[in-house]
Amino acid sequence: MRMILTALVRAYQVATSNFAPRCKYYPSCSNYAITAIGRYGFKGIAMAAWRIVRCNPWSQGGVDYVDAHLDCADAKNLTRDNEKEVVGAN
Amino acid sequence: MGFILNPLYNIVSGVIVFIHKLLEPLFGADSGVTWTLSIMGLVVLIRIILIPLFVKQIKSQRALTALQPHMKEIQKKYKDDRQKQSEEMMKLYKEHKTNPLASCFPILAQAPIFFALFTVLNGIAAKTPEGVSAPIARGFLKGEYLDSAAQAAFFGAKISQSFLGSTDTTVKIVTVLLIIFMSATTFTTQRQLMVKGMPKMDASNNMMLQQQKIMLYLFPVIFAISGVNFPVGVLIYWSTTNLWTWGQQYYVIKRNPTPGSPAYEELQRKRAHKDKLDAKGAEGIDQDEAIEPEVQGQREQPKKKKKKKK
Repeated sequence: MRMILTALVRAYQVATSNFAPRCKYYPSCSNYAITAIGRYGFKGIAMAAWRIVRCNPWSQGGVDYVDAHLDCADAKNLTRDNEKEVVGAN
Repeated sequence: MGFILNPLYNIVSGVIVFIHKLLEPLFGADSGVTWTLSIMGLVVLIRIILIPLFVKQIKSQRALTALQPHMKEIQKKYKDDRQKQSEEMMKLYKEHKTNPLASCFPILAQAPIFFALFTVLNGIAAKTPEGVSAPIARGFLKGEYLDSAAQAAFFGAKISQSFLGSTDTTVKIVTVLLIIFMSATTFTTQRQLMVKGMPKMDASNNMMLQQQKIMLYLFPVIFAISGVNFPVGVLIYWSTTNLWTWGQQYYVIKRNPTPGSPAYEELQRKRAHKDKLDAKGAEGIDQDEAIEPEVQGQREQPKKKKKKKK
């Protein structure tokens, strides 16, 4: 089920990648959906739906992660740095 | 689902029947022209309703000029980290209460209408298992209107027929032509935006050309796959809305182009030229006026004050 949904979202991304990006949020609604569904399953579908509803002309968009503490650039850089340190220690 | 879909059927069929009533005296009740124009009228109505959103979008895109230095700074600062770059960019937009991106709402808003039109038109073409025509009435499209619509033709092809659902050669030719038209309008719209409407990019021109090429092949495929299942009436709707998009964009690019784009420079040149001519006509009246157009549209943005923490 997750595989099918993720594949569908990916297909959508490939099909629309020729247009200028149009999502008000970062990450885009489709990327948000992939992460949310991968991590939370059915609850993720609801989360993705709610995100698409929020992504409307009257919202201001912005940075909005599924789990900010896991996904934001700083968090990722931190893990990457940690890995480097471990590699360095060996 | 009925409680969601029935109102949609009512709206779509109501608008079509209403426009049909208005046009009846001009082209005749059973004329294909009347029915075609009714579908096109539905498109025009929807797109007019969506214009304020479009204007809002254009305005917030213009507001970006003021943010240009900040954006460059961010790009430089995080040039090795695309994610951080995007994050900071979004934060910047939010801080200045502007967002250049449209969100998918304008497209999603049209989807239910599109679906309802599809169902209403398919209802006209419905047949019994024995192949006898048995139109299904939906919304206001019933009785004499239903019979009339079932017979209405667009260049000889019945508006309720689809490429796959019909053996009629005329239907096949008309649907194929409409699909080609849809692909062409989408492609031209996109090309127009890329060539004239967007600020010049640094090194991404190559990528854009690549994308255009993919699009040139991808769109006819997408339209062909979906288009062969759609009744002629839906294809008319789709073609009209594509044409509208093109026209809307043409107007904006000509009259109110994005600062920094080739179309903008062209307009500036034209204005400068016109101002020169005006200045010659009334020499030495006011020098400032000739410079004015360059200042226009770049209102100084109010600076955000940092709140002190208490």
